[in-house]
Amino acid sequence: MEYLEIIKKLEEEALHPKKSVIKEIKETGKKAIGCFPIYTPEEIIYAAGFLPVAMWGGNTELKLADKYLQSFCCSIMRANIEYGMKGDYNMLEAVVLPTFCDTLKCVCENWKVAVPNIPIVPIVYPQNRTIDCGFEYMEDEFKRVKDEISKIANKEIKDEEINEAFELYEEYRNTMREFVEVASDYPQIINLRKRHLIIKAGQFADKKRYTEEIKVIIAGLKKEELKPFNGTKVIATGLLSEPVEILDIFDENNIAVMGDDLAQESRQWRTIVNDNSGNVWKKMVSRVADQRGDTFFYEYMKSRGNRLIEMVKDKSADGVVVFMMKFCDPEEYDYPIYKQEVEAAGIPILYLEIDQQITSYEQIRTRIQSYSEMLMMRR
Amino acid sequence: MYLGIDIGSSSSKAVVLNEKNEIAGISVKNLGTGTDAHKEVVAEALSNAGITEEYINYTVVTGYGRVNYDKADRQITEITCHAKGVAHYNNDVKTIVDIGGQDSKVIKLNENMQVDNFVMNEKCAAGTGRFLEVMARVLGCSLDDLSEMAKKATTQISISSVCTVFAESEVISRLSGGESRENVARGAHIAIAKRVMGMCNRVGYAPKVVMTGGVALNEDMVDVLSNELGLDIEVLPNCQAIGAIGAATFAHDLYKKMEADNNAN
Repeated sequence: MEYLEIIKKLEEEALHPKKSVIKEIKETGKKAIGCFPIYTPEEIIYAAGFLPVAMWGGNTELKLADKYLQSFCCSIMRANIEYGMKGDYNMLEAVVLPTFCDTLKCVCENWKVAVPNIPIVPIVYPQNRTIDCGFEYMEDEFKRVKDEISKIANKEIKDEEINEAFELYEEYRNTMREFVEVASDYPQIINLRKRHLIIKAGQFADKKRYTEEIKVIIAGLKKEELKPFNGTKVIATGLLSEPVEILDIFDENNIAVMGDDLAQESRQWRTIVNDNSGNVWKKMVSRVADQRGDTFFYEYMKSRGNRLIEMVKDKSADGVVVFMMKFCDPEEYDYPIYKQEVEAAGIPILYLEIDQQITSYEQIRTRIQSYSEMLMMRR
Repeated sequence: MYLGIDIGSSSSKAVVLNEKNEIAGISVKNLGTGTDAHKEVVAEALSNAGITEEYINYTVVTGYGRVNYDKADRQITEITCHAKGVAHYNNDVKTIVDIGGQDSKVIKLNENMQVDNFVMNEKCAAGTGRFLEVMARVLGCSLDDLSEMAKKATTQISISSVCTVFAESEVISRLSGGESRENVARGAHIAIAKRVMGMCNRVGYAPKVVMTGGVALNEDMVDVLSNELGLDIEVLPNCQAIGAIGAATFAHDLYKKMEADNNAN
């Protein structure tokens, strides 16, 4: 299949997650397990023979979820509860939920009552990740989750299987790192909408098939002629850049994303494993322990601002776009700190407060277009 | 001649500039996007300038209705146009406070009078002209009379609700409790000023500060905001049409650039 056709196919898959997951279950013959954001250890689920699929909410009308999550809760979690209660997740054998924030902690308990037909496996990450006891705890926690998944699978999960799944996921992560690099060279082909949807499609697909497809896209792009881009270039940060209609406004204004610090995108694969012990559990732990600049992991000296500044310099970008998920406390707490650092470096920030149920885009359109006009006039 | 049209949420404005960048025609109507007011203001501005449409070399449209207006040569946002419009009058402004019908904006300018940074209110109507419309209705006066009423206030009362809907019921409670309409009107202005003050702090304001948009016509509102910011706020002539003036100035500049590029080729 031509790489452009693969892109088209992946875009469709990302736009229709439920349909895509059902199709993937049918084609792979695997059962699926849902993964709440963020950093669910998918390797364990994959090793058990399941298909791990992401649960990043969606643009659905919220009717049932209000019973458990009020209007001032993060719209991703409200959407997940809504989908669960409506039965849209009935194809899932279980869900795994990392309890990173207050809302996630509550959702863990709410889920048991609201969606009793789908078992939930919580995972509690340590905040003190870099000290020995934090490291040991995290390894134990991963193994506990393995035991829980093992019970659901009704089979033992061997370390060799975990190792094999981890290697596949490492290949996926390496490929995605390369993809976002190559994509930034071809903004005329991989615009914001395409970039986001291509990445998102991987969250509902078997990583083996998906990684091969991304490799074809990378190879296809590399054969294309490099053309100068006359629009504005930005770095994106936040949880996720949705709804996709917002990305269309960026594309209309000829704005390209050169790199991202989004939880749904590059934060999933940017940390390179720095462990030579040969032990797969330690490798998995080190990926989490070495993650920096993430709002959900405690850091004594927050490095997110510097990371964004370096990304802007590295890509000769014009600014930073903040996709602020409304009512996401951890992201909101980080914002004043990195805003000050990024602006002190002379980098203009566009702050967009978003939720997944937006239906009117006019004010956002004005903000994005004004930002683009401002950056163009600075040249 | 050059035409600038600003189709706002609650008013429409049109300005015709001549070759010397002088205002040759101007029109403002208090009906916004979704109506035919933009056609009326264009007709009136052209008539004021003593010309017909065919004498217009270039048209720029701005405001909320800009995206759906397909007769312009270019559409530019009201934030960029307000900066340009302010520069038409004054070259040492650092901060623009634009309170319109549906949203409010604070725009920070650089030394070239270009947008350096900006903030807009979030989706709700708090801190916008809409808030004042609701207050005027509850107080039983017209929007134009709100300023005079507030000037007669004898004490400062605080309206604590940020949300326009909750503020409306809070105001009704105040009036039922015997508070004077004048004091409540002033309280509404203070509520907006506090909201705008927050936006000014976010963007980092500096003098000179000018106020544009329809709410700048409300003298008491300008005074209250000046007190809140601790500096004098200047209100420019044609404050409601600053966006349209900026759009017309862009029309002039873009046409001249296009002409120069054509001559160079």
